[in-house]
Amino acid sequence: MVEGIDGSGKSTQLMLLHQWLQAEGYGTVFSEWNSSPLVRDTTKRGKKKHTLTPATFSLIHATDFADRMEHNIIPLLKAGAVVLCDRYIYTAFARDVARGMDPKWVRELYSFAVKPTVAFYFRVPLEVAIKRIHDGRNGFKFYEAGMDLGLSENSDESFRLFQARIIEEYEKIVPEHEVTVIDATLPIEEQQTLMRQLVKAKLAQAKRLRVAP
Amino acid sequence: MKETYEVLLPEMNLADLTGKLIVIEGTDGVGRSTQINLIKPWLEQQGRAVLDTGITRSELAGKGIKQAKAGHTLGKITLSLFYATDFADRLEHQIIPALRAGFVVLTDRYIYSLMARALVRAIDSAWIRNVYSFALKPDAVFYLRIGVEELIPRVVFLRGFDYWESGMDLHPSEDMYESFRKYQTSLLAQFDVLAEEYNFDVIDASANVRTVFESLRAGISRVLSGESHEPLFGSARAKSPEDLRKIAEATEFPSTKESRGSAEKDASEGGEAKPAVHALASAAEGDSSR
Repeated sequence: MVEGIDGSGKSTQLMLLHQWLQAEGYGTVFSEWNSSPLVRDTTKRGKKKHTLTPATFSLIHATDFADRMEHNIIPLLKAGAVVLCDRYIYTAFARDVARGMDPKWVRELYSFAVKPTVAFYFRVPLEVAIKRIHDGRNGFKFYEAGMDLGLSENSDESFRLFQARIIEEYEKIVPEHEVTVIDATLPIEEQQTLMRQLVKAKLAQAKRLRVAP
Repeated sequence: MKETYEVLLPEMNLADLTGKLIVIEGTDGVGRSTQINLIKPWLEQQGRAVLDTGITRSELAGKGIKQAKAGHTLGKITLSLFYATDFADRLEHQIIPALRAGFVVLTDRYIYSLMARALVRAIDSAWIRNVYSFALKPDAVFYLRIGVEELIPRVVFLRGFDYWESGMDLHPSEDMYESFRKYQTSLLAQFDVLAEEYNFDVIDASANVRTVFESLRAGISRVLSGESHEPLFGSARAKSPEDLRKIAEATEFPSTKESRGSAEKDASEGGEAKPAVHALASAAEGDSSR
């Protein structure tokens, strides 16, 4: 499972890990944040009309996550698959608390989640992440930039302030939940090598997950 | 001043909520909406502005919940959280603004029904209480209490059995009548525990519509005139909360226990039974460490 702010390169790394695991013969499945078909329309409605508050934003994402947990992640784990999550509950811890939700409440809310086998946090300085994002696309979406918080009228400035708060929260989560930190400014191949070493060690403990050839 | 059960939401200002929050609780088919249809005009005749609201009526999540329930595809935790989303949206966008404007907010069920439904489905009780700990404490909760034997004819003759009201998601029986009876029995037991814990005003709902309405009128008048809030009609039963909890456990829906048991076996091979929330987490952990 990978965590980090937008532009930290976590999705690229997860994709590379996926390629490798498949080549190694493991049954591997992706599960993305905010992807449950069940609540998609509700989330869309709230985002489009800008009626989501920190509380409903938090709860709708928890609903989405619960649906994936109950109908997707747990059955897959039981079947022996390696499940790769692009963002996990730590995204909610960081974002919801950055929006002013009570940290204890959010952590208890997600207490039904399976503890990940390995958790990576891609640590990157805000300026580096922003530069990467600007090269890739233009403009931010309303909630992505934390515009609902009224931090700034300017979406670039709001994004910057909001992401800084999120980084602050991630840094609290790292020691609390034994998350492995990857220096996301290193060359891509180096980061990937580190990830593969760690994942390999964990999978050795769980050999039965390997799919028979 | 109004307060929440524990957690304050960001920018939730409770200082100037001059209205009154009145909850009508009770199980499916007990006559809540009939009573609300009588109370609302009665209050309006006295010149009070009334907002009536109820579960799954939020702008945000109401439609989504109905669609999801139509497909019968919801997991227990997912359904609980979907309801919580709906509740939070109504609390922030309807209930609090109306209270600020001095309305009487009359709500057809509140967090207690949602908690009772979750508890019957073996959701961890500390977890569900935390989820709703941002809810406002109401000025009064009137609980329309009925026995299951009196409930059944009302439901059968007025509207028939509903899939969810019969707890068919828990597959206790192929027979909808049996299922309804078992499900509502355990739901009512949960309500009795909550009635004690949250100090409900209990009203005997087996009486006729007029009598129930008289009781509600008396209770609501008292709340609106600002008298101190002691249950007028007596609490659920003269038993300690601990006793009531035991009763609820003893009458817990049988199939919930079974399905929970088998899930546990799959996961940790007969480990001690845990509430659903934590069972989920341990399920997959057990798998990967073997």
